[in-house]
Amino acid sequence: MITGGIPLSDVLLASGALFVIGLVGALLRRNAISIFLSIELMMNAANLTVLGYAAALHNLEGQVVVFLVIAIAAAEAAVGLAIFVALFQHTETIDVNRINLLKW
Amino acid sequence: MASLTATRLVFDAAAGIAILFAGVMVIHRNPVKSVLALVVSFFALSIGYVLLSAPLIAAVQVIVYAGAILVLFLFVLMLLNVPEEARQTSDRPIHRLLSSAAIVVFAVALLSVLRAYGSTASPPGTGAATAGPADIAAPARLLFSEHLLSFEALSVLLLAALVGAFALARRETHP
Repeated sequence: MITGGIPLSDVLLASGALFVIGLVGALLRRNAISIFLSIELMMNAANLTVLGYAAALHNLEGQVVVFLVIAIAAAEAAVGLAIFVALFQHTETIDVNRINLLKW
Repeated sequence: MASLTATRLVFDAAAGIAILFAGVMVIHRNPVKSVLALVVSFFALSIGYVLLSAPLIAAVQVIVYAGAILVLFLFVLMLLNVPEEARQTSDRPIHRLLSSAAIVVFAVALLSVLRAYGSTASPPGTGAATAGPADIAAPARLLFSEHLLSFEALSVLLLAALVGAFALARRETHP
């Protein structure tokens, strides 16, 4: 499947690489904001896949979905960062190894 | 082998830059540099979006993601004055195991795709399909007609997130 000279496999491989990098970052980092950044990267990898298929299938719905996802990511970033600010005011750290109140 | 067109070369270069700077983002222990690397990565990704004939999403990516969300991250980082992560080994073995497993799964996928390229003369589905003209009006028309309800619901969601973020991050003046 080719979209204007770009094979779909290139898009999917790039998206997979970005997703794996984001996953590794989310698993291995200990700074809560870095973990959040890695999650944003994974969301972008998913967006790239959706846009790749939208272009390959000549379907515009994919672009609408990605638009909605980006807007939801903005809302999520605002709330998540507010949680980190509140957490920092409370515990003076955002190291996830030291935030263990709910851990048994 | 697959044909190498100029479009494909540019797309692969942009994707390579995006992947490279995503790696820089994960490796850096200073969170401010991580955010800046992610900005570069998202810019490169938006070049890829243009080539996938989605210029509207590319613009939104630059304005909303690189422009607003990552600046918000930077702002919070500077507000909290987060220190660099200390180098630390031998903690969280399960996480190491899981991330190694993810890398292995991706490597297998990569190898299988590369082998498929090698065995066939051209990738399956090679056709004379050319991307349609990059059209901003068409997805916008779809967004404001068929998906108008989702669009309006989104505005309510953003308002709720605004109020929620304000309520969460506000410092209590009197308990």
